[in-house]
Amino acid sequence: MKQHKKALALWIVVTLALLAGALLAGSPGRAETVQEAMRDAVLHDVNQVSLFGLRPVAPGMISAFLVTAVLLLAAAAVRIFAIPRFRYIPGKLQLVLEEAVGLFDHMAKNSSPHRNGFVGAYIFAAGAYIFVGTLFELLGLQAITVHGHPITLPAPLSDVNAAIALGTLSYLVILSGGIAANGVRGVGKTLKEFSLPISMSFRLFGALLSGLLVTELVYYYVNLSFVLPVVVGVLFTLLHALIQTYVLTMLVSMYYGEVSEPGEPKKKARAAQI
Amino acid sequence: MPLNIDWQQILLHWMNLAILTGGLYFLLFKPVKAFMAKREEHYRQLDRQAADKLAQAQQLEAQAKAKLEAADDEIHEERMRAQQSIQQSTEEQLAQAREQARQIVEHAQAEAENSRERALRDSQRELRKLAAQATKKLAFHADPFDQFLDLAEEGEEYEE
Repeated sequence: MKQHKKALALWIVVTLALLAGALLAGSPGRAETVQEAMRDAVLHDVNQVSLFGLRPVAPGMISAFLVTAVLLLAAAAVRIFAIPRFRYIPGKLQLVLEEAVGLFDHMAKNSSPHRNGFVGAYIFAAGAYIFVGTLFELLGLQAITVHGHPITLPAPLSDVNAAIALGTLSYLVILSGGIAANGVRGVGKTLKEFSLPISMSFRLFGALLSGLLVTELVYYYVNLSFVLPVVVGVLFTLLHALIQTYVLTMLVSMYYGEVSEPGEPKKKARAAQI
Repeated sequence: MPLNIDWQQILLHWMNLAILTGGLYFLLFKPVKAFMAKREEHYRQLDRQAADKLAQAQQLEAQAKAKLEAADDEIHEERMRAQQSIQQSTEEQLAQAREQARQIVEHAQAEAENSRERALRDSQRELRKLAAQATKKLAFHADPFDQFLDLAEEGEEYEE
C-alpha cells in the first residue's frame, strides 16, 4: 500500500511539474493565424515539405511514404520471424494476423463470390493503409517545411491528392474486375458508376480532413490542449480509422462483386423473361 | 487546379499504393492465407480419416452382427438336430429294451414250461418206480420196517 501511495504521489508531482513547465515556458509565438492554419490544412499550399530535395510536396505525401515503409517493414519482419513459426493452434500474434487476413479475405469472398483473389489482396492493403495512416497522426511526428517551420505530419488521407489517388485506384481495381470477368460489358457496368471515384475520394478526404481540422483547432489554443486531446485525438481518430477502413473496403468489394458477376447469356435471359 | 490537386503527387501516391499492395500481398496476405489453407486441408484430411475409420468400424460392426446372427441360427439348428438325434436314439433304445424284455419273458416262460414238464415227468417216473418197488416188496413179504428204511434212504439220495 505504501509503495502504491508513493508511486501515486510521484506521478502527481511529475504531472504538475510538467504542467508548470509548459505554462512557464510559454509559446514561441504563432507563425500563422488560425484561419491560415485551417486553410493550409485543407490546401497544403504553404507548409510544404521537400521530397528528398526533388520538389516540395504536401506533408501528407511524406506521411504516406512513411506509413508504407512502416507497414512493409512490419510485414517483412512478420514474414521472416513470425510466419515460419506458425502453428496449427495459433498464438496471439498469429491469431491477430489470421483475423486481419481472414477478415478482408472473407469480405472479398462474400461480396464478390465469382472472382475475389485480387480484390482480397487489394482491400487488405487499402484497409491497412487507411487504418494505420489514420492512426499515424497520433504519433505527432515532426517535419520541417520548405520555409523552415516545424509541422506535425498529418494522416496521409487528409491530403486531397492521397484521397483522390486511393479513390481512383479503387475505381480502377473495380474496373479491372469488370473487364476480367465480363469484357466490354464489364466496362459498361463499371462506367455506370461514374460518380464512384469522386464519392470515394471525397468521402475519405472529408472524413480525414474533418478530424484534422478539429485536431488543429484544439491544438491551436493552449487552453484546449489539456484532457480534451485524449478524447478528440485518440478516441475520435481510432473510431474514424475503423469506420473509414470498413467503408472503403466494403464499397470496393461490393462494387467489384457487382461488376465481376458473370451476366446471363442473352438467349437464357430472354427465355427467362418469357 | 482547385484544392491544390496535383497530378504528379497523385501518381506518386498511386506508385506508393501499388508498392504497398504488392508488398503486403507477397509478405503477409499470401503466406498467411497459404498457411490457413494448409491448416484447413490438414483438419479436413483428419476429418476424412475419422469418417473413413467410422465407416470401417460400422462395416465391421455390421459384419460382426451378421456373424452373430448366423452363429445363433447355426446353434439353433444344431440344437434341433441334437434333440432329434437324442429322441431317435432314445426311441431305438426303448424299442430294443422292449424286444429284449419280450425275448426274456418268452425264454423264461419256455424254460418254466420245460421245468414243469420235466418235473412232472420225473414225478410220474418216481411214482411209477415207487409203486413198482412197493409192489415188489409186498410180493416178496419183506420186513415192513426194513423196507421203510430202505425206501427212506433212497429218497434222500434222490433229493441230493
